[in-house]
Amino acid sequence: MRIERIKNGIVMDHINAGVGIEILNLFPKELLHTRIDYAAFIDSPSLGEKDIIKIENLNVDPATLMKMAILSPKITISIIRDGKVSKKIRPTVPPVIEGVLTCDNPKCVTRQEPYLATKFKVSREENRFIRQCLYCEHIFQTKIGTLS
Amino acid sequence: MIMGSFTGRHIIDTADLSNEEILYLVDTANAIQNMGEKALDLARGKTLATLFWEPSTRTRLSFEAAMFNIGGQVLGFSEAQSSSVSKGETLADTIKTVSQYADIIAMRHPMEGSALAASHFSDSPIINGGDGAHLHPTQTMGDIYTLFKEKGRLEGLKVGFLGDMLFGRTIHTLARVLARFGVEMTFFSPEGLNIPSYVRADLEEKNATFSEFTDLEPTALKDLDMLYVTRIQKERFFSEEEYLRKKNSYVINRKILENAKNDLLVLHPLPRNEEISTDVDALPNAGYFRQAKYGLQMRMAIIASCLGRI
Repeated sequence: MRIERIKNGIVMDHINAGVGIEILNLFPKELLHTRIDYAAFIDSPSLGEKDIIKIENLNVDPATLMKMAILSPKITISIIRDGKVSKKIRPTVPPVIEGVLTCDNPKCVTRQEPYLATKFKVSREENRFIRQCLYCEHIFQTKIGTLS
Repeated sequence: MIMGSFTGRHIIDTADLSNEEILYLVDTANAIQNMGEKALDLARGKTLATLFWEPSTRTRLSFEAAMFNIGGQVLGFSEAQSSSVSKGETLADTIKTVSQYADIIAMRHPMEGSALAASHFSDSPIINGGDGAHLHPTQTMGDIYTLFKEKGRLEGLKVGFLGDMLFGRTIHTLARVLARFGVEMTFFSPEGLNIPSYVRADLEEKNATFSEFTDLEPTALKDLDMLYVTRIQKERFFSEEEYLRKKNSYVINRKILENAKNDLLVLHPLPRNEEISTDVDALPNAGYFRQAKYGLQMRMAIIASCLGRI
């Protein structure tokens, strides 16, 4: 399979192998009516294996970037304009995340009062992403490639 | 100098209080008891709103009695059906509105984190009277005051907790404070009702000395200075069958107390079911009704302090 250059859009590289499909799921389906090249489990000197995704004519917002960094810590995003890389982003996860993730505790107040922005204290231990809700204090652990 | 630092402050979590502030509230509760009728001036002209989205007669009455005892007035609701929630009002709107009527708000709400959320929208101090299975700081402060009144200290005490450690919010809050004062703790709970991971993580972070057991061996009580017993709450279970299976896992009676120290203090946040036999009530060890009195006195201290009147 050949991955073509794109003129305008985004290239997501260094995605943990097999996690690309979760990255794609971050975008609303109606935005994905465009050319998408997705290569999975390809050789990578730094990761062993990795996924790469190129999507034409698409932008990415900061909340989605943060979710990408949670799903795949080494991901890089290149913004392509007129066939050239106009910006390269290596998204990181701040120690406290506001309004991006939902709390998995069904009894958390943020589930009943949706106008409240969720707030989590986060950390990473080996391959686990740990987040603690700052409202209900419940702690959740997820593996690479999952958000809940 | 702590005096005045409580003025206008929300009381959401005992974790927000320093050890010094906790001891200040204990001293304030004592001081108010020594004021006699002058205590009636502490909240004169002030109004407490008790907003209880879920029923809790005891906690609500304790808050209301506390406010009356320091000369204030009370308004509020005691179930969601009689509030605007039944008309679809958000928590934020209820709080924004009521904080225009009341100088201070005591609230109980079934959702965890609700008191913290409410504090973001309130113009008056919020006192958390229980947010789901999460926190119950005024119960804890009353329990701390009880330990000082009955044992004279916290440091070096050995304390046991018995019953539902998973949903028992009073236990979560109390254990986390006792850990800060060097109290050694033992938890006895049926399988599946152990302390939640976030409480265990917090105790470990504080380097607390604690152990957990699923069986209550009679000899397990022998070194304890205080045993804190809790009801296995029916409303926390998903099925009647599961509740019936677990509710009688542990019962404290005179016979089992023969294995304990003579001055073992037995506490319970009340209401109780069968987990403490009524034959214990006449023993000096039974501290649970005195505990209710000390809880009321502590709430007087908290309200007066947050109103900036002491």
